[in-house]
Amino acid sequence: MTRPRVPVALLLLAVGCQKPLKPGDPLRGLSRAEGDRFDRGKVVFDSVFTPETGLGPLFNSTGCGECHENPAGGRGDEIEVHATAFHAPVCDPLAQEGGPVIQQHTTPALKQALGIDEEPFPPSATARAMRTSPVVFGRGLLDLVPDSVLLAYADPGDQNHDGVKGRPNRFVDGRIGRFGRKAFVPTLREFTAGAFAAEMSVTNPQQPTEEDIGGKPIPAGVDPAADPEITQDALDLTDDFVRFLAPPTPLKLGKDGRRGRDLFSQVGCASCHIPTLRTGDSPVPALRNRTFAAYTDLLLHDMGADLADICLGLATPADFRTEPLLDLRGAEHFLHDGRAPTLEEAIERHGGEGSGARDRFKALSAADRAALVAFLKSL
Amino acid sequence: MQRKIRTAALTVILLVPLVTSAPADWRALNSAQAAPPYTYQGTVRAVNARTGTLELITGVGMSLRVVRMTTAPTTRVVAAGTTPRLADLKPGDVVRAECRRTAAGLVADRVEKLAVSAP
Repeated sequence: MTRPRVPVALLLLAVGCQKPLKPGDPLRGLSRAEGDRFDRGKVVFDSVFTPETGLGPLFNSTGCGECHENPAGGRGDEIEVHATAFHAPVCDPLAQEGGPVIQQHTTPALKQALGIDEEPFPPSATARAMRTSPVVFGRGLLDLVPDSVLLAYADPGDQNHDGVKGRPNRFVDGRIGRFGRKAFVPTLREFTAGAFAAEMSVTNPQQPTEEDIGGKPIPAGVDPAADPEITQDALDLTDDFVRFLAPPTPLKLGKDGRRGRDLFSQVGCASCHIPTLRTGDSPVPALRNRTFAAYTDLLLHDMGADLADICLGLATPADFRTEPLLDLRGAEHFLHDGRAPTLEEAIERHGGEGSGARDRFKALSAADRAALVAFLKSL
Repeated sequence: MQRKIRTAALTVILLVPLVTSAPADWRALNSAQAAPPYTYQGTVRAVNARTGTLELITGVGMSLRVVRMTTAPTTRVVAAGTTPRLADLKPGDVVRAECRRTAAGLVADRVEKLAVSAP
C-alpha cells in the first residue's frame, strides 16, 4: 500500500523543484511543435524592419523587440503618444487624422517628400496621452479568461457600495475589450496585428492598408514595399511567441512579503487587482483551464482627474484598465505613462475608485507600507 | 501516323488561344457575379442623411481606419424590432453594413444598428 505513494511524492517533489520561470521564458508544458513556433516567432519579434521590408513611412519603432526588450517581451524605455477627441459621451479615436497612435518617426523618403519628422498631431484632439511599453508576459493567459468572468466582476452601479465599480470597455465593433491601457482591444491576436500596423506601419493580412498621413494619402514613391508587408505565417508566429510567453514566477515571499500580501487584500487593492484568474478552453493544453496570478480584473475604473488623459471606446479620459501586476520587480517606473518612479508613489497617485485603497495604504504604519511594497516587488 | 500528329498539332494550335484567353474573362465574370459583399462592423463616426453618406470606424487592435460609404434609396436600415431611418443613426452607434463596391465607391445595401449595451 505504501509503494504507490513513492512516485506521487517524487512527482510532487519534481513540481516543487521546478526552476522558476524567468522573464522571457515560454510557458511550461508546450509541445515540441509549440516550442518550435515560440522560437520561430521570437525571430520575427526580434527582427528589424526597414522601408524595403515594410517599415513606415510613419513608425514608432523598427521592430517589436525595440520596445519590448531585455528580454524579448519585456519593458522598454520608449514613450509613445496617443490622441483622441472626447465629446461626451462619444469618443472619436481620430482615425481620420491618424489617431489614436501618433507615430513619432518617419522614413527618410517621407521626410524628403513632406519635410516632417513625425506624424502631425491631430488638430481635432482634445487630449494627448503618453504611454510606456508594457511587458507582454502572460498575455496568452489573459486572452483566454472568458468574457463572462470579466462581466461577473463588473459592478457599474456599485451595488456592493465599496466605492469600486468596474465595467468592460468595448471595441469599435461592440465586442468586449481587454488589451491596452484602456482595455480597448478584444483579443491578443488583434492587438499583435494592430501593433504591426500602428507601431511600425507594417501592413499585414489583418490590416492590409497603410494609414493616411493627417488625412492625406501617402505621397507616391515613399512606401516601396507591397502590401501586405508581412505574411499571415509571420503574423501567426509572432502571435504564438507572445501567446506562449510565461508570466515570470513570483519570488518566494519572506515574512514581510507574506504580511504585505495580506495587507494587499485588507486595504482593498485586490478589489480591482484580482489576484488570480482562470483561463477557459484552448487547443493549447499549456493555456487551457489554468489558474494564474493576474492581479487584474481587465475592467475599466475611474482613476480620478489627476491621471485622466484620453478617451478610447467607452473609456472616458479618467477610465483605465486595472493593470495586470506581472513582472513588477523588473519595472523602473510605474503607471500608464511612467510618471511614478516608485511603487509607493504609484499607489499614492491612485484616485477615483482607487482612492479608498490609496487612503488605507497611506494610513498604514511605515513598516506595513514597506511590507506591502515588498510583496509587490516579489511579483 | 503523320496525319494523326498533324491533327493533334492543329487541335492544339486552335485550342491554345481559347484556353489562355477564356479563363481571364471567365474569372472576371465569375468574380463579378459571385463577389462577396463587403461587410463592415464598426462605430458610426459621421452620418449625413441629406447626402446619404455614412462613415464607420473599423480596424484591428490599435490600428483604426475610417470606411466611407453611400446609401441608395433601396438601402435597408434596420434595428432590433424597429426600422429606423439613416437620420436616426448617430456617432457612437455600432452598426454592421453590408456593401458592394461600385465605380463610385462603397454602396451600402443594408445597415443594421446593433444592440450594444453600455455596461
